[in-house]
Parts: sequence; C-alpha cells; structure tokens
Amino acid sequence: MRDGLGKIAMVLAGVAVAGAGAGAAFVYAGIYNIAASEQHTAPVYWLLDYAMRRSVKSRAAAIEVPELQDAQRIRAGAVHYQTHCLQCHGAPGVAPEPEAIGMTPAPVNLVSTAREWPASEIYWVVRHGIKMSGMPAWNYKLSEKELWDVVAFIKALPALSPAEYAALDKSTSGSAARRTVGARAEAADSAETMSGDVEAGKRALDQYLCATCHRIPGVVGANRHVGPPLNGIATRGYIAGVLSNTPENMVRWIRYPQQVDPLSAMPNLGVSEQDARDIAAYLSTLDE
Amino acid sequence: MRAGVVTLAMPLLTACGEQPPQTQIAGADAERGREVIQAYGCIACHTVPGIPGPASNVGPPLAAFAKRAYIGGVLPNTPDDLVRWLRNPPAVDSRTAMPNVGLSEADARDVAAYLYTLH
Repeated sequence: MRDGLGKIAMVLAGVAVAGAGAGAAFVYAGIYNIAASEQHTAPVYWLLDYAMRRSVKSRAAAIEVPELQDAQRIRAGAVHYQTHCLQCHGAPGVAPEPEAIGMTPAPVNLVSTAREWPASEIYWVVRHGIKMSGMPAWNYKLSEKELWDVVAFIKALPALSPAEYAALDKSTSGSAARRTVGARAEAADSAETMSGDVEAGKRALDQYLCATCHRIPGVVGANRHVGPPLNGIATRGYIAGVLSNTPENMVRWIRYPQQVDPLSAMPNLGVSEQDARDIAAYLSTLDE
Repeated sequence: MRAGVVTLAMPLLTACGEQPPQTQIAGADAERGREVIQAYGCIACHTVPGIPGPASNVGPPLAAFAKRAYIGGVLPNTPDDLVRWLRNPPAVDSRTAMPNVGLSEADARDVAAYLYTLH
C-alpha cells in the first residue's frame, strides 16, 4: 500500500516537473504570439477578460457611489471625457482617433459598458486603469471629484443619441480641460507643510514614468539606463550634478528640471507638489 | 543533449565579444584610461567599478555607464560627446558641479574607452 502511494507521489512529482519544464520551454521559445495585430485565442481571451472582471468586482465592491444624475456633474464629466477619453473610446457617432485602431485589447465602446457595469466598477477602472492594456490609471491626473464626473457622464452616455452628443460636444468644446498631470492634489501648492509619504512616493515614481529612465531600488521594472541610477540618491552630494541635495531642492528638481537646468534631458512631467514631496520622501530612503 | 546545452549557451556566447559600434573609440586604451581615472581622482566624487578606493557619492555612480543614454543628463552618450564632456564639463553645462580637471584629448579618449567597458 505504502509502496503504491510512493509510486504515485513520484509520478505526480515527475508530471509536475515535466509540466514546469514544458511551460518554461513554451515561454522561452516565444511560441505564444503577443502581436496586437492578431487576436488572442478564444480560451486565452476568455480567461484574461474573466479574470479582469472578477478582479475589478472584488475591489470595487466596497466603493460608495455618490449622486451621479446631476446635470452639472454630467456636463463637467463631458469636458473631461472629450479631453481624455474620446481619443480611444470614441463617443456616440464619433470614431476614436487613429491611434486606437490596432490596440489589443480594443478600447471598449463605453455605451455598452455603461449599460452593463455598475458605476462603482467603472469608477474603479477609470481610477486604477488596467494592467497590460492601453487603459491608464487616472488617479494622478484627475481629482476624486473629476473621476466621479467622468463616471456620471459615462453612465449618461446610453441615453444620448449621436445628434444629442454632437450638440453637447459643440456646447462644451472651448472649455476643454487642462491636460495636466498632478491635478489630483486639489490642494496643490498650498502654503501648509505637506510631509511626504514614502509608500505614496514609491507608487508615484512608477506612475509618473520615472521608472522608464532610472534604476530605482524597490520599484518593479525600474532598470533602464537613460538617466543615472538612483541607488544611493539619499546621500548623493548633488542632484543631477547641479543642485545641492536638500529636500527642498529635490522637490524643485522633480517639478521643474528645465528651470534648474535648461539643458537637461529630464522632462517636466507635471508632478504636483504633494506627489513631489512623496517621491522625495521615498528617494530619501535610498541610501545605498 | 549536447545540442541542447549548446543551444542554451548560445545567448551567453554571443553576448560577450564585440562592443556595439557606438561605443568604440579608435586608438584608445581602456587600461590606460583606468590609470588616468585613478591619477585624476575621479573617485573623489564618483564610484567607478574596477577602481579601488572608498566609494564616493557626490556625483552619480558610473556602474553600467556604457548603457547610460545621457552624459551628465545633457549630452547623448556617444564617444565624441563623452570626450567633450570629460575635457570641459562646465563648457557644456555651466551649472554642473563637475570640474574641468585639464584632461588632454588622449587622456579623455582613454578614460572614455574605460567607461565604455562598464556594462
């Protein structure tokens, strides 16, 4: 009896190892086609889509939805929609911009989303985005109020005919929202001292694309060599070789690199005061 | 079996050897460049792999410098621009804290050759 169980255990272990090996070979050989120009296989598509829905559902469950059926709120949302969402998602009777053609997963028609998804889940996706899709997170670019304005507008979309949308578009274009990042902190640049939050700073470093140029310990995927590595930045004598390394100077550099040094390749990413302080707080923990 | 081992080793075999063309400096000596770096005290501000001494953190570390896209954050990392920077940093960017230590053209080329060995 024991001998039989031992044999079964060996066979299972063998199968597991063979399976892991086959999986590794499948990945290494690049067999699965990741081209955006071709669709997933149906089972893979179903799995990814289902996993996404389940993930959003579980995280959106506790979200409290404010009053959305307010004309002013919907109108404010329409302005943001035209600035930020139209390019990929289109609108009733309006095609998305050419950039959206050829995206996989395709940016959904939000009229169908509005009809099928609860507001809390739409809010969650607008705020957090979706990994490995073209849908960005808007929580660094839109304030809490603005996020809900957009949700309110999306929820109002199914009732708009193409003609009604065109009329709305005409009456709101001209008040297009500023395309700036960092609008999240509505109390930005206020006089009170805002201390930096290390965890928030780590997330901000990722979202503001710092990780696409710098090696940053602790930030996943931050391993490029466009700019200098940030290992040891906490104790480095100079910031970018031009500013003495103090907390105030770090915030100033992060927010306005070209004001400090017009020759710098580091771009102005529109980092808000609070986000810059948070980032500086995280960087101050990198002392080796 | 042997074929399998060779196939797995191929990426390793091809990674070493020739440097990509954009980091080759004709007639420069990387080993001599290392000596120049030590002589001119660059490690007073920079941590440089292969140069012994206390690690300094005044300026950025030069590990993996060959992969760096920009020099001093202001010049593209090409051999000519690197030599230009090394010879007179303030002439390139008046705000930089990196001083002009009076490197000759030959010294600067050797230093650049050494820096381009840092992957």
